[in-house]
Amino acid sequence: MIRQTLEELKRVRPKDLIVVVDDGSKDHSYAQACLEGVHLLRHIINLGQGAALETGIEYAKKMGCKYVVTFDADGQHCAEDIERFVQVLREDKADIVLCSRFLGKAENIPTLKKYFLKIAAFVERIMTGISLTDTHNGFRAINIAKFPDFAITQNRMSHASEIIDLIKRLKMRYMELPCTIRYSDYSISKGQSMMNSVNIIVEYILAKVIK
Amino acid sequence: MIFVKIFLIAVLSIVFLLVAFSSRYRTYQRMSVIFFYLFLAYLILFPKVADKVAQFFGIGRGVDLIIYLAIAILSLIVAVLYAKVKMDERAITKIVREIAIIEAKECR
Repeated sequence: MIRQTLEELKRVRPKDLIVVVDDGSKDHSYAQACLEGVHLLRHIINLGQGAALETGIEYAKKMGCKYVVTFDADGQHCAEDIERFVQVLREDKADIVLCSRFLGKAENIPTLKKYFLKIAAFVERIMTGISLTDTHNGFRAINIAKFPDFAITQNRMSHASEIIDLIKRLKMRYMELPCTIRYSDYSISKGQSMMNSVNIIVEYILAKVIK
Repeated sequence: MIFVKIFLIAVLSIVFLLVAFSSRYRTYQRMSVIFFYLFLAYLILFPKVADKVAQFFGIGRGVDLIIYLAIAILSLIVAVLYAKVKMDERAITKIVREIAIIEAKECR
């Protein structure tokens, strides 16, 4: 699956620097991700999604990239959407562009998941005052050249909430754009169960209490 | 009763030796550990003293006082250990990330 995602990315964005972070996987993902021109990084142990994102971002900073687009490897995002997101950054209309599956057409989104995500967005709005319709979406475009301090410290799943905090703390201008999410059987099986949101909330609160 | 006391003092002494002679403490920390050890040993040998202290604080029995204190101290230890685990986790993240970036390769 990672291979298809990367092939799509390479086809649609031939000039971009594609960075893949393997978060200590034990299957053949690492070998499969080795496509020509792809920059491949590997965590020697599993740290979590937030840590993997931050490694990718740090590498992109080191390579002198201006913009970073985070993209899930399970094929749920569309490479065609990237251009619209980066365009906003180029025109300097926002510093971070987030994808919302509720503004666009989401393909077969499970009903229960839909309401869960809406509740998450609502809680986020009350806690931070930042108004987004979809807070837990892996597709984002970030202007890192302008915000070198943009760094994720939450290793696991609560990084999505941390990004909202970062937007607030760094006073970033944010924008939400519709994007297509493909809910295939594969991406649903790879996605986290919603019961995990309890863990995310606990993790998030602990992180706030204990700096 | 005397066996229980010997057992308790033995356990206490082992913990004390581990704590007091590990090299990572400052002098005042080590001194307070020593005084705390002497105080606990004193309480084991003369449990009636704990009753008096408890009554002074308005708590019924000395054993109750010790249980309250134990819970408070254990909670504190959990909090400190949690913070330490978090710090270690951060260090590990840094190391793993550094390795990942150094070893990054461009496929061809």
